[in-house]
Amino acid sequence: MKRNLIILSTILTTGLFSGSAFAQQASLLPDQNPRYQESERRYALVADSLNRQQGTTVQNTYKAYDWYTAREERRQQNRQWRNTYGGYYNYTPTWGLYGGYSSYYPFYSSLAITVMAMATVGVAAAVVGV
Amino acid sequence: MKINNLLAVAAIAASALFFSACSRQVTRVSTDETIDISGSWNNSDSRMVAQDITNQVLNAPWISDYATAHPGKKPTVVVGLVTNKSHEHIEAETFIKDVESAFVNTQRVRLVQGGKKREELRAEKADQQTNASVSTMKKFGLENGADYIMQGSINSIVDSHKRQKVVYYQVNLELTDIQTNEVVWIGEKKIAKSVKN
Repeated sequence: MKRNLIILSTILTTGLFSGSAFAQQASLLPDQNPRYQESERRYALVADSLNRQQGTTVQNTYKAYDWYTAREERRQQNRQWRNTYGGYYNYTPTWGLYGGYSSYYPFYSSLAITVMAMATVGVAAAVVGV
Repeated sequence: MKINNLLAVAAIAASALFFSACSRQVTRVSTDETIDISGSWNNSDSRMVAQDITNQVLNAPWISDYATAHPGKKPTVVVGLVTNKSHEHIEAETFIKDVESAFVNTQRVRLVQGGKKREELRAEKADQQTNASVSTMKKFGLENGADYIMQGSINSIVDSHKRQKVVYYQVNLELTDIQTNEVVWIGEKKIAKSVKN
């Protein structure tokens, strides 16, 4: 009895699969990819998000270097810094180690040194694992 | 009286000079004209690459070889990745589009979409499956498969000392048979510039 049930279920499953495969094959157009439904299912899920930008312009721009604009921006930055703290921006090429805003006043300079020293100690401590 | 007149003339001249110095002048120029300002990659370089590469790709034997192997058919190309390994921002699309346009206009090579545009096309097709009328709905699985993929790279070498600089660019494009991985064409354009500050 048990064996009969297994045989019957196997026959039914095989029939179901081959039937669906036959149905898909039968509905294919000439030269159509037989696995087209996989792509269809995949794109049905993302169609809305991909089609949302239709009719719009994607602004994938970059900022081109312009010597004149760069100079104006640098001057504007210096002006802003002077008005706020009374200092100037240090453009010395030091690969980011010491470059940054410098102050005419010793208070800000010492503050910057203190902050830099604290940051260095923090990084060293993290590296050592203290 | 004379001094007053002189002062007025001087003031007018000074103001005219000031305004002329402040005003920006823009003039349209021909896109075929070569104007070098900073020595960086510019439209003239892109144009030279486009012209040379288009000539090379359309006159190479890979098209006739394909026609011999597949009578009555034209090769289908998809444009793949172009890697910029130079020291500057260079948009390859400015010369790749010229090559694509030559493919389409000469009708010797068929072109299929790739990348994000292909994604969008498939998404539109997926949208049509549930929204468009049956007679106008486009079906999946009927795209043209590309025979060849076009890939490329941009490299540069900079040699500078004090105020002098020599910049060398090399643009390479290549076509590979997708079925066999065989490279059927390699095009190149070399540009060298000397810049003195």
